[in-house]
Amino acid sequence: MSLLSRLKGLFRINRLERDLDEELRSHIEMRTQDNIAAGMSSQEARYDAQRRFGNSTLMKEDTRAMDIVGWLETIGQNLRYAARMLRRNPGFTLVAILTLALGIGANVAIFTVVHAVLLQPLPFPHPEQLVRVYDDILASNTHDVGMSPPELWDLRDESGVFQDISAIFSDDANLTGGDHPERIEFQGTSANYFTMLGVHPQLGRVYTLADAVPGFSDTVVISDAFWRRNFGADPQIIGKKIRIDSDLYTIAGVMPPGFRHPGRTLTADVDVWATAGFTAAPFPLPVVRAARLLPGAIGRLKPGLTLAQAQAQLDNFVAQLSRQYPDEYPSAAGWSLRLVPIEQDIVGNVRTELFVLFAAVAFVLLIACVNLANLLLARSASRQREIAIRLAVGAGPSRLIAQLLTESVLLAGISGAVALLTVVWLKSSLLRLAPADLPRLNEISFSPAVLLFAFFISILTGLFFGLAPALQTARGSQIIALREGTRGAGSSKHQLKFSRFLVVSEIAFSLVLLIGAGLVLRSFWHLLEVRPGFEPHHLTTAKIWLPVPNDPLKDNYVVPEKRAAFYQEILRRISALPGVEQAALGTASSLPMDFSHFQSPFVIENHPLDIERTPVAEITSVSPSYFSVLKTPFISGRSFADSDDTKGQQVALIDETLAHRYWPNSDSDAIGQRLQLGTANNRNTDVQSPRLTIVGVVANIKSDGFDAASAPHIYRALFQDPDYGAVVYLRTTADPGTLGDAVRAVVQHVDPTIPVFSIRTMDFIVSAFLAERRFAIELLGIFAAVALLLASVGIYGVMAYTFSRRTNEIGIRMAMGAQRSHIFKMALREGTMTIAFGVVAGSFGSLAVTRFLQSMLFEVKPSDPGTFAAIAALLAAVTLLACLVPAHRATRVDPLSALRHE
Amino acid sequence: MGELLAKPKSDVLQGTLALLVLKTLARGEMHGYGITLHIQRVSSDALRVEEGSLYPALHRMEQDGWISAEWGTSENNRRARYYRLTAAGRKELAEEEKNWTRLTQGVASVLEFV
Repeated sequence: MSLLSRLKGLFRINRLERDLDEELRSHIEMRTQDNIAAGMSSQEARYDAQRRFGNSTLMKEDTRAMDIVGWLETIGQNLRYAARMLRRNPGFTLVAILTLALGIGANVAIFTVVHAVLLQPLPFPHPEQLVRVYDDILASNTHDVGMSPPELWDLRDESGVFQDISAIFSDDANLTGGDHPERIEFQGTSANYFTMLGVHPQLGRVYTLADAVPGFSDTVVISDAFWRRNFGADPQIIGKKIRIDSDLYTIAGVMPPGFRHPGRTLTADVDVWATAGFTAAPFPLPVVRAARLLPGAIGRLKPGLTLAQAQAQLDNFVAQLSRQYPDEYPSAAGWSLRLVPIEQDIVGNVRTELFVLFAAVAFVLLIACVNLANLLLARSASRQREIAIRLAVGAGPSRLIAQLLTESVLLAGISGAVALLTVVWLKSSLLRLAPADLPRLNEISFSPAVLLFAFFISILTGLFFGLAPALQTARGSQIIALREGTRGAGSSKHQLKFSRFLVVSEIAFSLVLLIGAGLVLRSFWHLLEVRPGFEPHHLTTAKIWLPVPNDPLKDNYVVPEKRAAFYQEILRRISALPGVEQAALGTASSLPMDFSHFQSPFVIENHPLDIERTPVAEITSVSPSYFSVLKTPFISGRSFADSDDTKGQQVALIDETLAHRYWPNSDSDAIGQRLQLGTANNRNTDVQSPRLTIVGVVANIKSDGFDAASAPHIYRALFQDPDYGAVVYLRTTADPGTLGDAVRAVVQHVDPTIPVFSIRTMDFIVSAFLAERRFAIELLGIFAAVALLLASVGIYGVMAYTFSRRTNEIGIRMAMGAQRSHIFKMALREGTMTIAFGVVAGSFGSLAVTRFLQSMLFEVKPSDPGTFAAIAALLAAVTLLACLVPAHRATRVDPLSALRHE
Repeated sequence: MGELLAKPKSDVLQGTLALLVLKTLARGEMHGYGITLHIQRVSSDALRVEEGSLYPALHRMEQDGWISAEWGTSENNRRARYYRLTAAGRKELAEEEKNWTRLTQGVASVLEFV
């Protein structure tokens, strides 16, 4: 009951105060009257009555302290007072809020990304059970070689590891039936894909085991984006038929906008999902274990199984299957299965970068806090009197510290609110800055976690930069209160030392950040200097795709000669287009930095077999003019000729790396040698892989990117080995848009069902490849620059403050005969000492921290001395510059006025 | 005991003040100044209640529900706050009186022991 009345008291606080005042006044009145009646003068009477109450302020406080309410009221008082202090110094308040809002805002923004991409669990039930299954051939160091249908079924039924598993393969497909054919992204899966993931459509239904058929089921599910783009979000979409790769399918359902396939896709997102049983056309029959035609699989582990346990069980299962089927799984090959949690699969390579960015932005906030702490310390000097009085009246130091902390927390709270509002307001612009292929980009939003983070980081910031100055101020003021009349040198010295310590730490933090940014920048430069092996400027590319209908009888291009003929025809026509200097064709894997590659082991005839490590090369097929369009030089021999067709001798070109490895004496030794794709006991395909005769050696092309060590390449002639998709290469200076239309017209003139898509310049592909890298660098660079700025401002402020406090000391020195230059040197020396300490501390800190950057660096050591030295010099120079003005101003002190300044 | 009740620092002393106030109010309602005068007079000046400790104590006792208060007019026509015992206060008074008797008897016994 008393608690209730105390809480009720909270609301009646004003009336209670007035009541108490009145009660006390009446008490005093009564005693005064009695005193007068007893003979005292009215003045004495009143004085006596009042004196009995002693320190009425304290007593009133004690009385009020009886309520819990008093505590809340104290906070309210503190806040009101703090607000008043902030209002009284608008300049300081504004600068502080801007600085803090910048720091807090950057942290909130990065945290939002980190939270959505790395922390938030994937939007599936029990996402920790979902894993990607990779097949590896360890002996030849080939990874992700694909799975066969019987293997998939065994994993599902016999391994005991999965409660469910589905094959997945991403592919380009033709959508026809509209005004023009269109390329879509097509995902083939097992029938249980959606039920395994545990997701539901927004419209219609998904396919389930009930829809399973040996070949492709007629039922497809489409994505929300595809539905809106191609059908205008038509609500009557269910049951509509669409023609993909010449086959008719029925749309059974539409997935919700938030759903994304949990794995890598060819482009941004899947358009159509279909299911197949893999035991009928278009899949090769008979279904054999050795035919690894499924590119991948996703499985859901049995409940309660950890990843390690599952992997161990799987390893046992692999051993068991290898024993059961020794021909399909030769032990020399070292076949193994690898489980990767899908989150890692999706997000893996971005994790380091995001954490580095997060750390960087935290550093910036740290430096901003230190700056603010210094600012507060400087300001506290002017508040000494006010605080000393409060101490004298009887306020406890803890009350005082609470008051000062309230000020800083209020400041930080306001900044935090400003920061949050700004980030929310700028959300869409900020998102546009992010690299487009950032995984889980679509899941970035302002969840409660982000708001909580913003709140806590604001409070923490306020406490962090407010605590030390508050403690210092309270202690300093106590000393002042005791020693009235001193020159203020005593307590200030302590504050000055502390200020200087803060600046040293600021400089150290800045240095760490700057060195980190410098290292990353340097490795990016190295990256750009790498010669790619071809000329990307003035090179336009486009992709075409031949349809693969499910029934081979309906396939116009089932015969390789037909495909070769098609390619020859369009190449001839495209080369004749105005603006095209030269044209070439190649399979999808021939396009550098496009993430589609095909590796295969190979055997060189008449060469000793390397049993330990079966060599592996990237295989691709190209037309004769490919190398001259790409401007890749020939080392020896010849390129393909038109005479290298399906009827002639099967030929191949190899690159320098391969030539050096097997014919180290002279590249031309390779000419005329023969090689064969596949391993010695090759049972990969139903068609025996042909023996290829080497007719030439070309320079290396870095097809996997500038920093990847690419495997050697083997090139086959496109017209001898035509695939179902091709890339068109055009050496041209014409605008890709108009040129693309022209190419499309040409291709569709030959066959109206073939789409032309992905028309991009090679420059664009290269820069897209580097986009993520560049984005991280830009951000790091910005943060580092901000840190440098803050550190400079910090040291400038402290130096200015230091010398302003020591005006009379300087005056005395000058009066004693010190020259201006002497003062200047003295001032500069102090600054230099501070900077030196900071740089040394920062260097050690950097050595400790930069090793975490390892994975982001290319050909740069994390302890690269050149970078360290250069950055340290830069920081020292900038901060030294910041010292110059205060040092100079110190010399401007007029000794007379300084001494008079008592 | 003089200024004993000036600054109640321990619970015993605080409780003593409360006891005296409760007993004073048992005789009828009274305002703060009146309570001070009463205690002073009845104890023949041996006990003097410092105003600085009286009002906090009154406030606390009011929160605890032993006394209730309301505004009234005093003898010299001033507005004053009058306190009176509640039923709970009466019970508390009886309890405290018992405790006090026991305490003093105990002290007396020890002092008598030679």
